[in-house]
Amino acid sequence: MSTSLDAKPNYLNYPRLSREQARAAAAQLIAMTGDGSPVHDALLPRIQRFYLREARLLDEERHEEWYAMLADDLFYWMPLRENRFRRDKRPEFDPDNMALFDESKADIAVRIGRLASRLAWTEDPPTRHVYLVTGIEAFETAVVGEYEIHYAFVQYRNRSEHDAAMLCGRRRDLLRATGDSFQVARRMILLPQSVLLTKNLSAFF
Amino acid sequence: MEKNGDRAVTPTAADWVDWEVGTVDRRIFWDQAIYERELERVFARSWLFVAHESQVQAPGSFVTTYMGEDSVIVARDDDGINVFLNSCPHRGNRVCFADSGQARQFTCNYHGWTFGLDGTLRRMPKVGLYKSTPGFRMQDWGLKRARVADYKGLVFATFAEEAPELEDWLGDFRWYLDAVLDAEAGGTEFLPGGATRSVMGCNWKFPADNFVGDIYHALWTHLGGAEPTLGRHGGMQVENAGSYQVSVNGHGWEFNDSFLGNAATMGDRDLLRYMRSRQEAITARLGKFRADMWGSVASATIFPNFSFLPGYFTFRTFQPKGPLKTEIHAWTLVPKDMPDDIKDRFRRGSMRTFSPSGLLEMDDGENWEHSTSANAGWITRHQRLCYAMAPGGDLERNDLPGIVSAGQLSDANQRLFYKRWAEMMDAESWVDIPVAQPTAGAKVDA
Repeated sequence: MSTSLDAKPNYLNYPRLSREQARAAAAQLIAMTGDGSPVHDALLPRIQRFYLREARLLDEERHEEWYAMLADDLFYWMPLRENRFRRDKRPEFDPDNMALFDESKADIAVRIGRLASRLAWTEDPPTRHVYLVTGIEAFETAVVGEYEIHYAFVQYRNRSEHDAAMLCGRRRDLLRATGDSFQVARRMILLPQSVLLTKNLSAFF
Repeated sequence: MEKNGDRAVTPTAADWVDWEVGTVDRRIFWDQAIYERELERVFARSWLFVAHESQVQAPGSFVTTYMGEDSVIVARDDDGINVFLNSCPHRGNRVCFADSGQARQFTCNYHGWTFGLDGTLRRMPKVGLYKSTPGFRMQDWGLKRARVADYKGLVFATFAEEAPELEDWLGDFRWYLDAVLDAEAGGTEFLPGGATRSVMGCNWKFPADNFVGDIYHALWTHLGGAEPTLGRHGGMQVENAGSYQVSVNGHGWEFNDSFLGNAATMGDRDLLRYMRSRQEAITARLGKFRADMWGSVASATIFPNFSFLPGYFTFRTFQPKGPLKTEIHAWTLVPKDMPDDIKDRFRRGSMRTFSPSGLLEMDDGENWEHSTSANAGWITRHQRLCYAMAPGGDLERNDLPGIVSAGQLSDANQRLFYKRWAEMMDAESWVDIPVAQPTAGAKVDA
């Protein structure tokens, strides 16, 4: 196949973590246990507004605006879930294992490029999304202006006539203050499904 | 036959599949009775992929998987790899609920019957109740064992006592398999973390026939997925010059000679640089013809439901879950001796292209689901599908093993896949199923 679009971004020059940086980011996410000091009462509503806006932008396919909410050193990770015995000594989450998402910001850009190409037939007519975020907890970290966030989500989608999927899960973010707002610097998405009970993950989480 | 308007009440599978003209009856993707016969005559008779050796390396290590709809445990003990049913013969409960792990034994949750790593019944609570039961013998009540064999790290099993040996089942396809299994000395492994699993509402044969010989779809289905990564770099070339389809006993591989055409769509320059650095050594090992297949624009299916993609090195089973549902289990295979950093690039590259979040796989599932669900319509279901494309025809190349067709853009392998399917569906026993005589290998580059 060949394409002839000239004005295309060169994704090879987009922000990308080294393997070591990605591993360090994964270790940071794994170590997030929500045991730190809660953020100041005045800050929590601002953080909540950030996540409500994020959910709405994703529902409305405003991907470029959503992309701006992500930090250049983003690590975006959805590990696989395996059924293991409780006695199993292997770590539950390991950045060297196969994953469902294991992305730098450049990889997110490629995914947005797929949707923007208008050549992704499976998104035309488009999928309709509803994103719910709830139970947002925010904690201080050792770095001023970086916050540890824990929350749950429901991601419902529907397309065509009978095609529907509802994915529930939990997220852990490292959120970084940037002037008036924030950016997501790390994100770990935990779906409880070991067999993904839907055909694909053609959505952002 | 239906074509003549006087179709028998119980048609033979040969009526459902016309592999000479290239038409397939859509009821084989829909009908529950046909599906039940597939479980009996295709899945229960075939050598089915169950694990890579690297998943069960140490004694006591195990994985659970499926053979058809039969849940099985694959466990290594001191003597080798055992495969046996994951269902207690006492009341039928599933025995092992973990996907993988280490075990000394498997104990059923229901009454505590305990089985060894080879599936034999070792003990149960209050064993005296059985010892005083006339005629009861422990050795009669183990977990049913399958025959097990491997080819260069890939472990297969079958419950069919009368099936030929694995080497005959694979036959000359082994010569081609070496292009991904034996490209580098030191063997291969699956990357860690278990199988990536997802459910699709499609008949299992649609993905299997897609991988056995349908590169044609890539020219259209995957435009959106390939465009962001390949657009600036010339795109993927698919031509019938310098490309082939080859089929052996229903197994099939379509490929070109581009060496890294598939791998290029992962958009990772360092990975491609590494692959090029290995080209000379792999050519010395396999000869130019097979070395050029290593990462080329290609796809393959080992009959009936085990498929892979050179270049991305995703290996997957299409597990049947009824006529309208398929579970995809996928792993990534790499040479063991590959540098860790390159393995990691394949881990991420195969995930980003061919996984439930993969830019290319996301397009496929939608097609297969609707190719299946459209058959709800009675009129729709009674119109046969077109598998007629044959621009190259049979290729007279006696230096290449198997049935070789010129050009990868063709339905040749898919017709032969359905021919094999029909042969197995119609055969009363294994005696009636033809097996191609393996040759001494190929003369090309020998």
